[in-house]
Amino acid sequence: MNKKHNLFPYIRRIAFSNSLDTCITLFILLAVFLLSTITIKWLLFGADWAVVIQNYPLYAFGLFPADQRWRPALWLLLLISLTIITLVGPRWRWLRKLLPITWIGVIPLGIVLLSGGLGLLPVASRYWGGVTLTIFLTTCSSLLAFPLGIILAIGRQSDLPLIKFFSSIYIEALRAVPLIAILFFGQLLIPLFFPIGVEINRVIRAVLAFTLFVSAYVAEDIRGGFQSIPKSQEEAAKALGLSKLQITQFVILPQALIIALPALTNQAIGLLQNTSLMAILGLVELLGISRSILANPLFIGRYMEVYVWLAGIYWLICTVMALLASHLEQKVTIEKLTIKN
Amino acid sequence: MRIKRYRGLFIQVIVSTLFISIVALFINNLSVNLLRAGLGLNFSWLFRSAGFALAEHPLPYSPSSSYAWALFMGWLNSLKVISSSLLIATLIGFLVGFASTGTNTLLRILSKLYVTLIRQTPLLLQLMFWYFVGFLSIQGEIFSPIKGMLSLSNQGIILSGINLSPEFSSLLVGLGIFTAAYISEVVRGGINSVPIGQWEAFRSLGLSENDGLYKIIMPQALPAILPGLTSQYLNLAKNSTLAIAVGYADIYAIGDTVITQTGRAIEGFLLLLLSFLLLNLIISNLMELLNKYILTYKQR
Amino acid sequence: MRRFLVGMASMSLLLGGCATTSEVNQSRLDLIKERNELVCGVSGKIPGFSFLESDGRYQGIDVDICKAFAAAFVGNPDKVQYRPLTAAERFTAVRTGEVDLLSRNTTVNLSRDSSGGNGLTFAPVIFHDGQGLMVKRNSRINNINGLARKSICVGSGTTTEQNINDAFEAISLPYTPIKYQDLDQVIQGYSQGRCAAMTSDRSQLAAARSSFASPKDHIILEDVLSKEPLAPASLGGDQKLSDAMRWVIYSLISAEEQGITKDNIDEKLKMAKENSQLKPLRRFLGVEGDLGEKLGLDNDFVVKVIRATGNYGEIYDRHLGPDSDVPIPRSLNEIYTKGGVHISPPFN
Repeated sequence: MNKKHNLFPYIRRIAFSNSLDTCITLFILLAVFLLSTITIKWLLFGADWAVVIQNYPLYAFGLFPADQRWRPALWLLLLISLTIITLVGPRWRWLRKLLPITWIGVIPLGIVLLSGGLGLLPVASRYWGGVTLTIFLTTCSSLLAFPLGIILAIGRQSDLPLIKFFSSIYIEALRAVPLIAILFFGQLLIPLFFPIGVEINRVIRAVLAFTLFVSAYVAEDIRGGFQSIPKSQEEAAKALGLSKLQITQFVILPQALIIALPALTNQAIGLLQNTSLMAILGLVELLGISRSILANPLFIGRYMEVYVWLAGIYWLICTVMALLASHLEQKVTIEKLTIKN
Repeated sequence: MRIKRYRGLFIQVIVSTLFISIVALFINNLSVNLLRAGLGLNFSWLFRSAGFALAEHPLPYSPSSSYAWALFMGWLNSLKVISSSLLIATLIGFLVGFASTGTNTLLRILSKLYVTLIRQTPLLLQLMFWYFVGFLSIQGEIFSPIKGMLSLSNQGIILSGINLSPEFSSLLVGLGIFTAAYISEVVRGGINSVPIGQWEAFRSLGLSENDGLYKIIMPQALPAILPGLTSQYLNLAKNSTLAIAVGYADIYAIGDTVITQTGRAIEGFLLLLLSFLLLNLIISNLMELLNKYILTYKQR
Repeated sequence: MRRFLVGMASMSLLLGGCATTSEVNQSRLDLIKERNELVCGVSGKIPGFSFLESDGRYQGIDVDICKAFAAAFVGNPDKVQYRPLTAAERFTAVRTGEVDLLSRNTTVNLSRDSSGGNGLTFAPVIFHDGQGLMVKRNSRINNINGLARKSICVGSGTTTEQNINDAFEAISLPYTPIKYQDLDQVIQGYSQGRCAAMTSDRSQLAAARSSFASPKDHIILEDVLSKEPLAPASLGGDQKLSDAMRWVIYSLISAEEQGITKDNIDEKLKMAKENSQLKPLRRFLGVEGDLGEKLGLDNDFVVKVIRATGNYGEIYDRHLGPDSDVPIPRSLNEIYTKGGVHISPPFN
């Protein structure tokens, strides 16, 4: 079908098929037009972007010492280039094989680059902030929550009543409580549960709190995966003489993970957004540093600009994460198909 | 076989000992630390007078009321904002869900845009936006199509005589619009789970799109929608605790104030947990009732 | 067997993490020295007192006080970890040991200071303030009675909140408090017209007003609702730390009384070393005697403090003086010889 030739009837079919549709379409077009003119006018003429432009380093790296800023910058750059390489899909097989290892290795590398050591000047975690801290919290917490969630999910499916009981209690309790309460606990109450003198770094406590919270949700997602696998598979594996552990490890878990993959990536995106809650509890991640900037007498009242800027950044990061996730899903399904064939 | 059973027992004993000893260790440390700060666990402070005023309280309240009453007001405020934004979210969510499965392409694109924009930005940012940019920056009174019925200003929403504060309104709008994006996805999933043949069937019977959706498709989609809807409602309840960022006195905000004033962090935290548990129980029980009702309705 | 050993090892590790009651008596000061760093709770959002500069550093009076403490305790004013705290979480943070001390616009009062209340101990006052109200000039409100039934923007978890409450109860008029977590939100709420008035310490009102587009459109009412003596605070029952804090503040005031500044401290030190008859100066600067040791500090802690921050007057001028962004007249905050109330007991 020649689309160009049939453009008019095509538009007519999709947007003006009856009178009600026509009304809706015209109304939407009008609203979109008005809204976009107002927005563009504000973006170009109304807004004062000094609050954004003068504080780029703060948004990106927080209070990281100026002469050491290349370290978080390098880490972020590495993450960006890895993302691009993964999305484009390199031509060379060796590079493709290297990718998963690089993705896992990028996290310890980030810790070393941020905290120092190995010949780098040590930088205490209180200087971490901005986008760097947001991404750090997200990657570390998801990396820790993933295995913990798997263990909890297996625990909940277990035949051993006590273990099942403990896992269920944990999962249900954490899912019933709002995240901010757990973060409050992690920031202000955890020290009460440790002997005086034992001090756990504040960022680590935030990572722990996020991990505890997210792992309960991850466990539920994976359990959903478990339940969608037919019982016959387990019986077949048993007939082959595999032990219970082997069945979980080689038969059930890989399939459950593939089924749970979309839900899991949604958890990761949700986690990134939820790191903004730390702004209420005093960490200077992206939203927190922005609130501090807004308190500077020079920039008081420039809420609109900052919020629009922040929304843009969060939207960009989340969209990139969603793209990566759908890429991963495609890849996994293709691999599954090739195995079947 | 016997060895296997013993092994299971052994693992359980090990795990539970470990678990119990960690808990005991924490409790030991907690009591030592409380001792150090000169505090024991007690709840008698709950009945002392709170000494702070509240902007919004559904029942009579004054600064001389007790801490317990103040916390109860907070809980009621939470219940108020949760139930009303739940209604808004459901309404918008279903409408957007229908739009994204409907025939108008422009509407489909628009609802897709709405869902990505809302789902890819943090709720906390959205709430601050609605409050500081959305409501507070309104100059004068705008949008009063019917004088005295509905008006918007930086003093909030006035809806046929009922005055809603800007704090409540922005929370209502923010939570409603945020949750609606998620609900619309649940609805879309539910509608898409109905076999395409059903659509063709009612169309060939000459039913209009709206009638078909309402009478044929939705009754089949609802059982698939309800569980997702329940979990979205529970999320909404949990997210309502972000009220503290826009100055609305919900249970978490008041709990926070009470903890600061009394220094009773552990007791205050336990009360907070208890109140969330109560909210959760109410929502999930109501949804279960609804579920049962729909199932029996369908069977009839 | 190996499993058993691993189990035993982890159990003993757990037991090692057990707190014992003997730790009840350890001073926080020893912990700070051991850590070689001070964890200082600040606001981070109050111009003139502590706020974040575009270059990523905290600035203000409260921040300089932290630096003075760090110079005295660990010998280096830069060994401070600033922890921004909201008003509501600050006491919990001290109580749980999340911060060593507060230098965060905190008003001294009986319930906060007492063991039956918040259980804190306060250092000497570093800034005498009073709570006031700011309204728009064109609202024609000129005293607190004019604010009846109006909404007032206020920071939550502060004495401000209680004072405004008391003030309205005293005149038996109702009002509506709109509570925010941070001062910048209070300012925003007020400037965008959510409330008819905002209430806070008068220094903060002045700072907020100077940041508005047209400061002349806002007036600070004459009513002073309360005394607001602001002071650093630490957990009660830790005499070693609170004594050290107290005398660091006194050293700042005493230095101003004696005319010792950041610029002339080395000169004064040289003078003290060369002239054995200048007994008070020699004791003050730690050339003679063991005043510092008695506090658990180095004997020359005063020298370190003044080198780091200058005396009290210098700190004040840097952040609130006539040339600063937030000019506030010194009035009550002068030293006693110039008609103010700051005075230091003798260093004997």
